[in-house]
Amino acid sequence: MIRFFLNFFIPHHTNNYRAKLLHHESLLLVILIFFFGAFTLNYVSKAFPSVLGISSDITVSDLLNLTNQKRAENGLPPLSIDQRLSNAASGKAQNMFAENYWAHISPGGTTPWSFIRSAGYSYVYAGENLAKGFTNSQDVINAWMASPSHRKNVLSNSYNNVGFSVQTGRLSGEDTVLVVEMFGSVSEPQATATISGEDKKLVEMAAISQQEKQPVSEPEKQASNPALLTQIPVHNSNKNTPTIKGNSVMGSVKTPPKVNSGMLTKNLALIVISSFIFILTMDLIFVKRKRIVRAVGHNVDHILFFSLMILLIIIFTRGLVI
Amino acid sequence: MYKKIQNHLGYYISLIAMLALSLLLAILASGNKDLQITIFILTAIFYVIWGILHHLLNHDLTSKIVIEYVLIGALGISTIFFVFMGGKGV
Repeated sequence: MIRFFLNFFIPHHTNNYRAKLLHHESLLLVILIFFFGAFTLNYVSKAFPSVLGISSDITVSDLLNLTNQKRAENGLPPLSIDQRLSNAASGKAQNMFAENYWAHISPGGTTPWSFIRSAGYSYVYAGENLAKGFTNSQDVINAWMASPSHRKNVLSNSYNNVGFSVQTGRLSGEDTVLVVEMFGSVSEPQATATISGEDKKLVEMAAISQQEKQPVSEPEKQASNPALLTQIPVHNSNKNTPTIKGNSVMGSVKTPPKVNSGMLTKNLALIVISSFIFILTMDLIFVKRKRIVRAVGHNVDHILFFSLMILLIIIFTRGLVI
Repeated sequence: MYKKIQNHLGYYISLIAMLALSLLLAILASGNKDLQITIFILTAIFYVIWGILHHLLNHDLTSKIVIEYVLIGALGISTIFFVFMGGKGV
């Protein structure tokens, strides 16, 4: 029995001094299994979404606790859940799935602040963090804390409320889990926060709209410092203001599937590719020791290629934040 | 083995450079699934061509070796296909 299995992994006279799994027919079989498996899993996830599909262990309570834990570690007061911000986050997540975009501003120009206003939250300061493709709350918070602009949102003293939405759906042609975190305050903040990247553009754009439209409480402050993560409410009608539907406020309301297809395929692929690296390495060692001469490809080439594959699978399946 | 690697140092440097470039491009294409898949397929094709050329220049190319590189490249593509289509419903 052991010899039978070793036949697949170790070069031996019974397998012509080349592990059985490295023979052409075995490689072809693995390729066919992967292609067939991909179609089968795709079919099952569509026909039986309660059995197989994208799911996560992300919960609003975990996100809130972890956010407040990070704030406590930095000597900041905790944020409290505001139902209106959670409604806004839910509306934003639904809009991202409906209009198929992964950005702070929708293709139609709808800003996060529109969702917050639509939810009835008259903010003085507001901010938004987005994440997708994560499977647990800790990874989401870690990714936000690793990004300077998101970290500033989490650790900003300008906010006293927060709202979350965790929703699964199809975005850019793939099933994924979206996490929307909306920050806000309705009273004067104790300090200011700085931001960078896309958020800065949002603030600058908002500052322009202030000048064009309504005078507000502190326009000079906002216009003079575009790095402030400050959103002052505009008291005019906004044609891009979305209507918030549904009430999935405190997280995903869908029943999660029994098997997470994303984790299943990722882990299977990593196991198979790692096994091939192991087999090729063993083959290399045995052939060197036994001084066997064969007309085959270079194992080092294949090991390097498979190593790249492992890194790419990890990169392709990791979560993203913006 | 070390002597063998030394003799093929130029080939391996070019292979590692190509794989590193592929990794960098995949990181830069984060969030763009189609581009990431395209980058990987091009890398796999380049790998097969590189492997065949390597053996051709070393005068030890056989049809069996060509098939082996093609199968390894196809295995890479099928694995990525499995991860995306099976796991994410692409």
